[in-house]
Amino acid sequence: MLSAIRNTLRVPVTTATRLFQTSVVQASDKFDHKRIPLEDEGVQGEKIVDLDSALKVKQNLFPTLDSDNLLFNGMLYKDLPICNIRVSHNNTIFTLTDAAGTVKVIRSCGMEGFKNTKKGTNIAAQTTAISIATRAIDRGFKTIRVRVQGLGPGRLAAVKGLQMGGLEIISITDNTHVSWNPPRARKARRL
Amino acid sequence: MFLTLRLLSNRHPSFIARTVFVKNNNVDDACRLVNRILGKEGILEQFRLTRYYEKPFQTRRRVNHEKCKAIYNEDMERKIQFVLRKNRHDPFPGCS
Repeated sequence: MLSAIRNTLRVPVTTATRLFQTSVVQASDKFDHKRIPLEDEGVQGEKIVDLDSALKVKQNLFPTLDSDNLLFNGMLYKDLPICNIRVSHNNTIFTLTDAAGTVKVIRSCGMEGFKNTKKGTNIAAQTTAISIATRAIDRGFKTIRVRVQGLGPGRLAAVKGLQMGGLEIISITDNTHVSWNPPRARKARRL
Repeated sequence: MFLTLRLLSNRHPSFIARTVFVKNNNVDDACRLVNRILGKEGILEQFRLTRYYEKPFQTRRRVNHEKCKAIYNEDMERKIQFVLRKNRHDPFPGCS
């Protein structure tokens, strides 16, 4: 069926190429060919297609309005404890709160024994994450959702460390403060 | 309607936007997806741009440079497509 359609598409193209040999026709010939991968269709649209395909393949990757009432390990999604991770260039701070926002456990790379520049490394972030995970499990937190704030070297390592520490992560949220009309920022660093 | 109600109480309700569920305990993939979304939406770029004040002359220089780069990339892409053009129906024979 598909090959029949393809053949019908190809017929006018063949005659055209033989007659004119222009690049325009070549483009159309290339376009309707079966082996042209999807990624080749422009750079701009690729992004949207990419995310759309992610949406289609895994239906419940992104939260909807009903996801508040989903059950995870017998708890509603909106009642799950939250692990806030503040990642900066110089430190990583973990705060474990309940769903209402009351702080239960707080750990930072500095508290973990890393000093000065070592605080801002991914190894420090991972160690701290494992340490807070064990503390959280001691207090009875097992399933959490993660909210990451800021960019830094510990961003990925922090979330990974929480999982390595034995916590089950349900969702990852980015909460980086970004403004499109911010107040004047501090002056640039002189390098 | 529920969304409007939620937006009335809180302009930026958390765990709706920029949120990805972790599937099969695959944290790495979820993180990567979040980062990809942030990158494509230009949020990370804006974050980096507004971290330090950008003087007007720097803005002008950056915008001009971006324009030049876009023009160059467009032309280069066209050139590459021209060089790589195929004039046969099976462009890569024996690769099906």
